[in-house]
Amino acid sequence: MEPAADGRIRLTVLGGFLGSGKTTWLRHQLHRGSLRDAVIIVNEAAERPVDDALLARASRLLVLAGGCACCTGRDDLVELLRRLCDQRLGSDSRLATAKHIVLETSGLADPGPIVDAIRSDPILIHHIVVSEIVVTVDALNGLEQMRREPLSRQQVETADRLIVTKIDEAGFPAVRRLLATLAQLNPGAALSGAIMGGSTDLPDFAGVEPETLGEFSDEARGPIAAVRLDLWDAVDWTAFSLWLSALLHARGDEVMRVKGVVRTPAGRLLLQSVRKFVQQPEILPETGEEAGLDDNSVVFIGRGFTAEDLRRSLRYFAGEEEGSRWH
Amino acid sequence: MCANCGFPSAPGHWTEAGAATASERLRARFRRAELLRRILSPYGLTVHDDGIIPGMTVSTRSGHHEMVADLAELWSAVEHMCGRKFDPLDPAFTGPDGTAR
Repeated sequence: MEPAADGRIRLTVLGGFLGSGKTTWLRHQLHRGSLRDAVIIVNEAAERPVDDALLARASRLLVLAGGCACCTGRDDLVELLRRLCDQRLGSDSRLATAKHIVLETSGLADPGPIVDAIRSDPILIHHIVVSEIVVTVDALNGLEQMRREPLSRQQVETADRLIVTKIDEAGFPAVRRLLATLAQLNPGAALSGAIMGGSTDLPDFAGVEPETLGEFSDEARGPIAAVRLDLWDAVDWTAFSLWLSALLHARGDEVMRVKGVVRTPAGRLLLQSVRKFVQQPEILPETGEEAGLDDNSVVFIGRGFTAEDLRRSLRYFAGEEEGSRWH
Repeated sequence: MCANCGFPSAPGHWTEAGAATASERLRARFRRAELLRRILSPYGLTVHDDGIIPGMTVSTRSGHHEMVADLAELWSAVEHMCGRKFDPLDPAFTGPDGTAR
């Protein structure tokens, strides 16, 4: 992709709700080579990132962890982008050749304030032009998320391009209804489909009745938090997966996203869930001394629980609490 | 994940991904049954896994039993058999001092 005609570097904001397929889509674009010259910035609300492990093909990858770029991490993002602009001007920097920046936001980010922050910064405005806001929408969970979560609706409303992911996992009637609802919510956005990051055709949804999205419940206005659980030695995969399967069965609507790398006899397993659905764990390679530093650390994103609740419950399930708590 | 740009996925139900060899899988099944028996005992349920036939059997004290293929099916069966929700974040599981609040 060429820089803008005025010499400013293009920036694509890649947003979308928790687990909607942002990293999968980006990973596939990198595999295809379509973002070869891009600088990739991954923003994660959690302290420890996971997605960077999946984007090894990126030639220049920067991680902005520990704060969502639309709110608490906004200053950090602006500072990072300013630094990139400085480096771009320096002739000895690899960034001097960068033509494009892709910012993958956290699933908790509203792209609107991010774009505002870039456009209103007196330095960045001369160097960066926000060319597109791409938002991924999960065909399986997207409609439910728009019903329940104000943030999910804001993300859709802000997009220039909506990519409906996991089309193969949802039935055609559900995909058509989702598309009709998206088209009603954001008529100006281009719609496209994806399966595992690869582009796919969308079904015709002409004449399909969109969902009437109502008001949000009081509960939905509560904050969504990211908490980290570090697994300890006594917790093996059997105990952890048993506990997590029970947790997601009971609380899949509140524990919206789980991400982490767990070390097992079968290797380093990448664990990811979206509500009740757990993706088949990928076996990550053992590469270099850096690999594994963040292993056995799992991030839980949602509402209605604390890190201490999770830790105590897991301890009980793993059999560390001798004697029943039941009387 | 796409076969080209992803890493290989572990086969089987996701909860069984931590074992790579047949002996590890067998050991994991027995440990899982042992953990479940302790956790489900207050619910009046027990779990049996003979390590040969796929899946597990959940039984009540009165002898009613159901076969389940994996943990996803097991939690539904538990709720159905004991007639109440099974929630790991129930205060009975998250109490600070080992006693129900």
